[in-house]
Amino acid sequence: MEIERERGITIKSQAISLPHDHHGTRYLLNLIDTPGHVDFTYEVSRVISACEGALLLVDATQGVEAQTLANYFLALEHDLEVIPVINKIDLPAADIDRTRSQIERDLGLDAEEAVLVSAKTGQGIDRLLEAIVTRIPAPDGDPEAPLQALVFDSAYDPYRGVVVHVRVVAGRIVPDARIRFWAGDDATYRVEELGLFGIKPQPTAALNAGEVGYLVAGIRSVGQARVGNTITEAERPCAAPLHGFREAKPVVFAAIYPLDADQYDELAAGLARLQLNDSTLSFTKESSVALGFGFRCGFLGLLHLEVVQERLEREFGLGVVLTAPSVEYRIRLQDGSEFSVHTPGEYPDPGTIEQVQEPYVRASIITPSEYQSLNYLDETRMELRFDLPLAEIVTDFYDRLKSVTRGYASFDYEVADYRDTDIVRLDLLLNGQPVDALAQLVYRGSAVRRAREVCRKLRDQIPRHQFKIPIQGAIGGQIIARETINAYRKDVTAKLYGGDITRKRKLLEKQKAGKKRMKAVGAVEIPKEAFVAVLRGADA
Amino acid sequence: MSSAEPISLYVHIPFCETKCPYCDFNTYAAIEPLMPTYVAALKSEIALWGSLLDGPEVHTVFFGGGTPSYLPSEDIRHTMKAITTAFNLAPCAEVTLEANPGDFTADKLAAYLDCGINRLSIGIQSFDDDLLQTLGRRHNAADAVHAYRQAADAGFENISIDLMYGLPYQNIQQWQSTLAQALELAPPHISMYCLTLEGGTPMERWVDQGSMPTPDADLAADMYLMAQDEMRHGRYRHYEISNWAQPGRRSQHNLTYWRNDPYLGVGPGAHSYLGDCRFSAIKSPREYIRRMQSVSPDSCGEPMRAMISSVPVVDEIEQIDTPLEMAETMMMGLRLDEGIGIAGFKERFGEPPSHFYADTLDELERLELLHTQEDALRLTHRGRMLGNEVFSRFFN
Repeated sequence: MEIERERGITIKSQAISLPHDHHGTRYLLNLIDTPGHVDFTYEVSRVISACEGALLLVDATQGVEAQTLANYFLALEHDLEVIPVINKIDLPAADIDRTRSQIERDLGLDAEEAVLVSAKTGQGIDRLLEAIVTRIPAPDGDPEAPLQALVFDSAYDPYRGVVVHVRVVAGRIVPDARIRFWAGDDATYRVEELGLFGIKPQPTAALNAGEVGYLVAGIRSVGQARVGNTITEAERPCAAPLHGFREAKPVVFAAIYPLDADQYDELAAGLARLQLNDSTLSFTKESSVALGFGFRCGFLGLLHLEVVQERLEREFGLGVVLTAPSVEYRIRLQDGSEFSVHTPGEYPDPGTIEQVQEPYVRASIITPSEYQSLNYLDETRMELRFDLPLAEIVTDFYDRLKSVTRGYASFDYEVADYRDTDIVRLDLLLNGQPVDALAQLVYRGSAVRRAREVCRKLRDQIPRHQFKIPIQGAIGGQIIARETINAYRKDVTAKLYGGDITRKRKLLEKQKAGKKRMKAVGAVEIPKEAFVAVLRGADA
Repeated sequence: MSSAEPISLYVHIPFCETKCPYCDFNTYAAIEPLMPTYVAALKSEIALWGSLLDGPEVHTVFFGGGTPSYLPSEDIRHTMKAITTAFNLAPCAEVTLEANPGDFTADKLAAYLDCGINRLSIGIQSFDDDLLQTLGRRHNAADAVHAYRQAADAGFENISIDLMYGLPYQNIQQWQSTLAQALELAPPHISMYCLTLEGGTPMERWVDQGSMPTPDADLAADMYLMAQDEMRHGRYRHYEISNWAQPGRRSQHNLTYWRNDPYLGVGPGAHSYLGDCRFSAIKSPREYIRRMQSVSPDSCGEPMRAMISSVPVVDEIEQIDTPLEMAETMMMGLRLDEGIGIAGFKERFGEPPSHFYADTLDELERLELLHTQEDALRLTHRGRMLGNEVFSRFFN
């Protein structure tokens, strides 16, 4: 995808089947490329479970990073044969010796086993292919056994329906076979198309145990063919599904509103289309006094959120406004009732709350030593391991970490447990009116600081109006921060030159049109940039 | 509008000795060689309109630009001759010429009076020498006062001066001093304009790059209020947002604009409003000259737009339908202290303003920007300051 190219990351997996000759024997290598970013760990774990081995790519200029470790552990969990591969050896900044010693120390792997390659120049690729053939065991499924195939990805095609990417673990799939899914409804589907992943899709007569490929079977929604699901034959089902099927859980929540209320329907359609290819995106209808009708969405992480927002704007031409990303809080009231809260609007009256808990993550940061002083990994870097609230991360933590360490730190986390917390709802009032879309849930201890920041940002972003605009941050009715935007006092075109009245008129019309690009909240016109600026975290 | 209604005539002289850094009018420095052919083209255009419009009555004439006083006085005389030949100039018509201090000689002034100019508008801008330099003007305060006295001595009774405020580096004391000096001079008419940074001008660039400070909008507002207060000490009527006049000395030509009455503009880039059309001429002086040189008029009694298009220098034409005419009437007329006369509006459009703008007028009253009185609608004091807020509401 274009976004992937721009950001230099992989978001979706890609699979390919590569025929390879080695010492006279013809092999078929099935390769799957996976996303490395922490938000998409779920996808990685499903893909790994479809494999026998893993090529653990380590960038020779960066060394072992936090995600490298995380993915390595994932591979070990699934008993994969791991081949360390040191990539980008062609670059001047490549430090092979240091990378080798990191592999030994951090991964516990024999550095002699590491294959040195440059994907760009092609150096070392032959040796890599040889290593794959000699070291990674062939799959051992029985093609005559009942069909057991793992869904590791799916994509929606407007003409053919869902294209399911599968790894056949046991049995075989042939055209016209009638299949069903373990999780989901009991629907049966007839296989219409079957193929391998070449440079282009290659139709094939059968997919046997051990092979990776795709099938098309008149499936209308990717929700049916979720990653991790098991496919089996309707008439001769296998005894058990492959591995446990775990729903990807959203951890970051934000509401998306159309900048122009007239585009609500387009926004709904856009989200539905994105969901076709991304079953981890969840959304429900929501409304705001300030912003009208929109959707509350669940994301796997902040990157997931940003990708969705960008795709909505880019692929569907939608201007959107996001409210504060938040996490899920668990609340127990004094009367004993328990429930979860995702948005400030849902937060109950503090007087009724017995306990609030928030999700914590276990995080690991690997950073050059000049930026910290704990736990050395080697003479140049160390690893920091600690627990922190997920809420801290969703407000720009990753970006700030990168900027503080000039991009050299790498970061990984997994959701751990829920712990007690003390949060309050920060309300924002403009001109005396609370603006629900600007409310946020914040830590009591940092509430005043945050309130001041937000008020200041709004003061800078909102243009002057005909009247004075007081901006107030409040908690439970008590004002804790305040800024004021003074009214403009003069707005009238002065000289009329030579009877050019048309020009005067056009100036007024332009002023009027400019106002339409803002969101009116009561009498105050707020530019879209104001919402965005306010809801990002504190300035680094 | 009936063809019997008198019109105003605007004449555009696009020459300047140097171009001021804040100016975005259609004027040029260093094209003096074009003056002779320009004057010839101007006379042709005047003759052409005279014939097309069948010698209408003209009740005001205004020579603007550029710097009309930069043109040789002979050329002004020739142009006036062309005007009186082509049009029916009213006996007590107001005929204004814009002038730069420093262009005045006794001979020139005498020549102007002789050929029918009876009002002078002097671009003084400021009585502060430092600010004049910042503005790129070539005169100083002493030149300005001297020029004024010269004009008065030569026999001009109706003199107007232009002043500017909201200038970079200008402080309130400088403005107060300028106002005091203006009041001491006591000209019959004073215009005061707030500097507007126009795109593409050197001054806008300087401010953008940070080499000149951004004019302070709040300070400009204070300066305007100060002007209003100070001007009460003279015998002036604040008859339009930016204009003050002694009794009987309001600018008749500009009143035409503010009352949304018809006018013809001749010269490159000049604007006109005749019948239901607003139109303007080609801006480039060279192109203007070239087009006039290729003309042969032959139209009579055609609908307004078709007739106007037959004049080759005409560049852009816009037809003004009644709702737009109404909105523009509100936009311009509210600038006057006389406001929008309800009876006059009803005569022009068939119904009073409240018939077409009930909700808008209620809203403006509620916001205390407008007063409805028995005879007229007028801006309030605050409404004058926030004029654009008021005017924009009459347009869709």
